[in-house]
Amino acid sequence: MSQQGIFTRVFLLEILKGLSLTFRKLFAKPVTVQYPEQKKPLAPGFRGRHALVRDPETGKDRCIGCYRCAQVCPAQCIFIETERDPETRKRIVKRYEIDALRCIFCGYCEEVCPVNAIVLTEFYEYSGYSRQDLYFNKEKLLQNWDEFIVTQKRPYFNPFWRPRGIPVEKLPAPKRKAEGV
Amino acid sequence: MAPTLEIIKKQQTEDIWDEPYFVNMGPQHPATHGVLRLFLELNGETIVRCDPRIGYLHRGVEKLSEFRTYAQDMLLTDRLDYIASAANNVGYCLAVEKLMGLEVPRRAQILRVIACEMARIASHLLWLATHALDIGAMTVFLYCFRDREWLLDIFEMMCGARLTVSYPRIGGVRMDVTPEIIDELYKFTEEFPKRIPEYETLIDVNRIWLKRTKGIAVVSGQEAVNLGLTGPSLRGSGVPYDLRRSVPYLIYDELDFEVAVEFEGDVYARYRVRMKEMREANKIIRQCLDKLSGTEGEPVLAENAPDLLMPFGKIKRPQAAPHPKKGYVVRGVELPVVPEGEVYVATEVPKGELGFYIVSDGTGHPWRMRIRAPSFVHISAIPAMCEGQMVADLIAVIGSVDIVLGECDR
Repeated sequence: MSQQGIFTRVFLLEILKGLSLTFRKLFAKPVTVQYPEQKKPLAPGFRGRHALVRDPETGKDRCIGCYRCAQVCPAQCIFIETERDPETRKRIVKRYEIDALRCIFCGYCEEVCPVNAIVLTEFYEYSGYSRQDLYFNKEKLLQNWDEFIVTQKRPYFNPFWRPRGIPVEKLPAPKRKAEGV
Repeated sequence: MAPTLEIIKKQQTEDIWDEPYFVNMGPQHPATHGVLRLFLELNGETIVRCDPRIGYLHRGVEKLSEFRTYAQDMLLTDRLDYIASAANNVGYCLAVEKLMGLEVPRRAQILRVIACEMARIASHLLWLATHALDIGAMTVFLYCFRDREWLLDIFEMMCGARLTVSYPRIGGVRMDVTPEIIDELYKFTEEFPKRIPEYETLIDVNRIWLKRTKGIAVVSGQEAVNLGLTGPSLRGSGVPYDLRRSVPYLIYDELDFEVAVEFEGDVYARYRVRMKEMREANKIIRQCLDKLSGTEGEPVLAENAPDLLMPFGKIKRPQAAPHPKKGYVVRGVELPVVPEGEVYVATEVPKGELGFYIVSDGTGHPWRMRIRAPSFVHISAIPAMCEGQMVADLIAVIGSVDIVLGECDR
């Protein structure tokens, strides 16, 4: 064995090299975040808890009952029931429910919604004790929106409502000139 | 399995240990990288026979895809190799686009390559972290996760999800990038080459690492080809086969990168290949970012790309002649049609060659979708690689072929 070979073997040079690296990291800026106290800022457009947008003018949801979200949903977790108003012949959304436990958070629903009624909010800290807690009906979805929007800068516009770089003619007409809430 | 049971019974009742005995490794073993069960026949500590039992993570992705539209099937591919989901999405989208004859805009192609290579780095980082942890190096695990976290954050900025990104879509990508994301990626590509030497300082010359990896599970190039290995596991045996170079897709033929090859064919060689590949992937991202500035403002979705809301059933063909580019017109709405036919498209994902074989019968959903998963083939190669080795080396072998059970069981 060469002289250098013996030297590295006795003094464990390669181990010391590694240890010096870890020792230097002792004085580096920590990358960890003390989670419940500190939070990492989320990117806009994070696909989190569902909400139905409450229209600031009418105070109601914007859903028109077109069933597009229910049709495009790959997990089939959106349930809608509509009926016609007997006088005005307008469509009324009787039931709008999302089973959050089935949802895979792909964001297709907010992308196809022509009136930007549904949104996956940038809110991820939610849980429940039973399955019923995570089965959102219309009131709960509107409540989700109220809880979310107070933490946001107005007007709020989700990137998935009009995805960047998608040609305008590919979007439904109301989406092209949609504005923030 | 009757003789096996008899021997086990005999060993339990009488005190005889000169016959081989049987051990189940897994399915809940931390070093099996998922729910893989290995049925081992041991002679002392030497493996006589190894028999992988798979299927614990079977979700029926291939069958499920027959009941969803093409756009919805893309989300299933996220869940194959969940560590590098963007690479799977791209492979699937390329297959459907080939079937439809779609031309993807250049900007979308560049963005797809960026997403693919980001997924490659993220996957190799996770591989290095867990492989080193299995063999006994804890510090590398933490350092790798630090850098993988950065990549996941960039994915979050790009498309709103960290793991199951579903960033591409048929005919392009879901969303364009913002200047902030490009800045962040430039920062990453500047910083990441300085991070790789950190891992190498920790393990590359470490004598424990070398003893655990050098000369273990040696596979010659001929054997590797016979076993059907692809990706870094094949290139570690000296076969320079990389689909990005041999069958270029997207814009890989314009990019300047080297195919990482090592010739020893052992666990250490496969580790070296992956380290080289991370450097090359970093180089590719850098080149793509430079190309991206030349396509500012271009759309990221093809003009005749199908909507997310595709019709599921047979599209009724109206009397009018089909639009030459855009497909058929139903009730005034133009619908691009996925024509009848079959297609096989293979892409180089971090694990190896991922192929999608799609048979279409002209409806809005695949008639059959078969996935050629690299992990499945690699698992079948484990018995040949580990026979005659020690049980402890089996952990290194499982790690070195880089398997993900979500992809294997589908």
